[in-house]
Amino acid sequence: MTVVTEAPAAAVPPARPEPPTAPAVLARRRVRADRPLLLGLTAFAALAHGVNFGAGPVFGADEGTYLAQAWAVREGIGLAHYTYWYDHPPFGWIQLAALGWLPDLVLSGSPALVAGRAAMMVFALTSVVLLYLVARRLRLAPWAAATAVALFVLSPLALALHRQVYLDNIAVTWLLGALLLALSRRRHLWHYIGAGGCAAGAVLSKETILLAVPAVALAIWRCSHRSTRAFCLTGFVAAFVLTLSVYPLYAALKGELMPGDGHVSLLGAAFHQVAGRHSSGSVFDVGSDSYRTVDAWLYQDPVIVLAGAAASALALTVRRLRAPAVAAMVISLMGLRPGGYLPAMHIAQALPFYALCLAGLAHTAVVLFRRGAWAPPRLRLPVRLAALALAGALALAVGVSWHDGNRRLWRDDANAEYAAAGRWVRDHVHADGTRIVVDDALWPDMVRAGFNPGTGAIWFYKLDLDPAVMIHLPGGWRDLHYVVVTPMMRQRPAGLPTLTEAITRSDVVAAFGEGEERIEVRRVHADLREATP
Amino acid sequence: MAATITLWWTLHAWRTPQTLYATRFAPPDGSHGHTFSLLLPARHEEAVLAQTVRKLLQSRHQGFELILIVGHDDPATATVAHELAAEHSQVSVIVDHHAVKNKPKALNTALPSCTGDIVGVFDAEDQVHPDLLTHVDYAFRTTDATVVQGGVQLINFHSNWFSVRNCLEYFFWFRSRLHLQAQRGFIPLGGNTVFVRANTLREVGGWDPQCLAEDCDLGVRLSSIGCKVVVAYDALLVTREETPDTATALFKQRTRWNQGFLQVLRKGDWRQLPSRRQRLLARYTLASPFVQAFTGVTTLAGFTMAVLFNLPAGIALLSYLPLLPTVGNLFFEVIGLHDFGRQYGLRIRAVDYAKLIAGAPVYMLLLAGAATRAVFREWRGRRDWELTRHVGAHLLPDVPTPAAADA
Repeated sequence: MTVVTEAPAAAVPPARPEPPTAPAVLARRRVRADRPLLLGLTAFAALAHGVNFGAGPVFGADEGTYLAQAWAVREGIGLAHYTYWYDHPPFGWIQLAALGWLPDLVLSGSPALVAGRAAMMVFALTSVVLLYLVARRLRLAPWAAATAVALFVLSPLALALHRQVYLDNIAVTWLLGALLLALSRRRHLWHYIGAGGCAAGAVLSKETILLAVPAVALAIWRCSHRSTRAFCLTGFVAAFVLTLSVYPLYAALKGELMPGDGHVSLLGAAFHQVAGRHSSGSVFDVGSDSYRTVDAWLYQDPVIVLAGAAASALALTVRRLRAPAVAAMVISLMGLRPGGYLPAMHIAQALPFYALCLAGLAHTAVVLFRRGAWAPPRLRLPVRLAALALAGALALAVGVSWHDGNRRLWRDDANAEYAAAGRWVRDHVHADGTRIVVDDALWPDMVRAGFNPGTGAIWFYKLDLDPAVMIHLPGGWRDLHYVVVTPMMRQRPAGLPTLTEAITRSDVVAAFGEGEERIEVRRVHADLREATP
Repeated sequence: MAATITLWWTLHAWRTPQTLYATRFAPPDGSHGHTFSLLLPARHEEAVLAQTVRKLLQSRHQGFELILIVGHDDPATATVAHELAAEHSQVSVIVDHHAVKNKPKALNTALPSCTGDIVGVFDAEDQVHPDLLTHVDYAFRTTDATVVQGGVQLINFHSNWFSVRNCLEYFFWFRSRLHLQAQRGFIPLGGNTVFVRANTLREVGGWDPQCLAEDCDLGVRLSSIGCKVVVAYDALLVTREETPDTATALFKQRTRWNQGFLQVLRKGDWRQLPSRRQRLLARYTLASPFVQAFTGVTTLAGFTMAVLFNLPAGIALLSYLPLLPTVGNLFFEVIGLHDFGRQYGLRIRAVDYAKLIAGAPVYMLLLAGAATRAVFREWRGRRDWELTRHVGAHLLPDVPTPAAADA
């Protein structure tokens, strides 16, 4: 006896859906030109970055801070040369510290900032390679990918920013890495996990790039296969969150997560960055800090800023460009929001995405142009020629507009005074037991010259703001010996009385440069000073 | 390190869309070329046996005989078995007269009576899909496999605090990990829904009657002589089982498995594996319950101590790093649970996710405890069989069919 009658085939219809065909690996569109083109572009970028890299642009306010913090990490002092107050996550300058051996290898005796800029070239060149690969994975033609790289390298604004020791550049490298992994051709789960780790690396290098991370998630969403998408996104989120968690955990372990009396805290600093920081005003308000910042960007390169922003808005409508377009838009809007704080290097985060959107739109336009039945066949050749001529003229115009800015970066020495002042102090001031007040660009050099870090070489902000420094100076300005007054120091905010006092009661012993850029080494009046311990 | 390897292997199936696709059963052509002898050992399982047998008899592949194996000291189960045999011509009963009973002895007792060219093993509480044999038949015909391992899935994830984790373990094991093991040529087989060519099974002498993990041991021996094992998984076709009904039962079951793994490791059949890589994999696989249990507990303990004793932040952070893959695993378990619910048409509620996460450390401790106990028992030479009791929780209430889930 069988049970067929109990379970007729028709009673349980086969529920199996027809299995879909096996998902294919995304086509590798590598062309023969890719490798030599990439090599050539990298060499070209190295040249563009390398020429005169220590001398232009002028040392920025934050560069020295990051380098000094990197120095502190390298020396095993801690995460900063003064109290680390969670102003930024430390991963950026930890990397700088790890790269510290590199400049020593090739340049010794040059100012610390020049060495720092040499380390930054590693990030700039890595970004160039990643940008090209990302462009190719967005299925842009090699010429379009090369265009993106050219925009990214040759824009005077980009070139100047990329040379400088800014955490944003480091974060951008990591974010491009994340995007590259997110666009994995094999759609490999562990590539997406790697993307999460890279995105976390970006945020731990510069926290504000957090806003661009959803663009990476978007790329994963679009690129991954339906069948594994949930796991891919989970892998990305897990790797991102867990890697990131190290930072608050560090703060918690030090008892510095929550704000409280008598200690710095991560949340307190985060609150300060988001809400407490002095607003730069609205970009549309002439005279505000934001307006000046944006104006400076436009002065250096109106092309990439304006055309890039416009292109990223337009690129939102192009499917393959949506991820970089979203990143560019979010970063731009973040900068434009009224009432926020707009740092001068903020645009550095948007630049690779502007370049991608511009090149991507050019690629899309060419594809549409080639495909379209826009003209009767006999008109096509002349129209094509005209388009080519137009593109050539456009490129020429852009090149001309970049000429002045790039020439300054390649020729002028904007930092000669800094270097000379540093040398003068080293040669003429006895470092032992001497207290010298400097800005953060000179600080690492003073330490290298033998001044006691923190209490001998004193970063001017800390004179009036850091109790750990003030405790060493019971006599206030009277306990100081030298002040090196630099443009950076002249732009100091109000409310640094000790510094102001020290400058007033001192004489110039050496001066370098003229006018606004003048650097003075000043000795504090010895007759007014009480005996120092 | 160990946790990262585990994570890598656990996620094997989802590595790329291609690997996921490769884990499916190939769709059969509808013809039947093999005959099956299905062995179903039952011990004190009169409550679930009849339903299991009726379900098996609904198979759309009718070329099989069903051999129920009951103990001579278990009249209740024997009565049910004989009733079933009287009702259905495909069913026969074999009585196991061993004084000390265990599953491998029961299976060996039945092996000489098998007439089919494929021997399949099921447990008394299994819910088998009517299309399973057709697919297995096709798998044997289209690959040169000696063994076909089908999927097994625990279903009653809502029964108690650990069942959701237990279900997920099976899900990840059959959905993912086993495929990787098969691909690498070393596989500890599961206890049921496993099909072996009868000739080969007789040649290797059936199951090891002394081994507590006879299924694992058979897989290792077959792998060692170069037999090809094909793993095929399909949510529709998996055999449904239930979790142990109490934490103690789970603890005992794990002790038995772990001890079985230890025995297989000590027997050393895996040393005959051809490549060094396979031997390494074998060693790692067989030792992994212990490695996993202890690394899990020690990393957790290390980090807790670092925090409690106020060690420097750097050291505490270092002790945190090994925890990352373990915590990362939790993320994948959450999404795995979601996937599990989707594939089996089960509604997963927020409380189940909460149980999954909250239960993790306790479950880890339980596994570590079972691993310790297994080592201890093996060392003391206690090798008796602690059977898992089944109450049929996966049968009641009626489990929705996957067909409904896909609709």
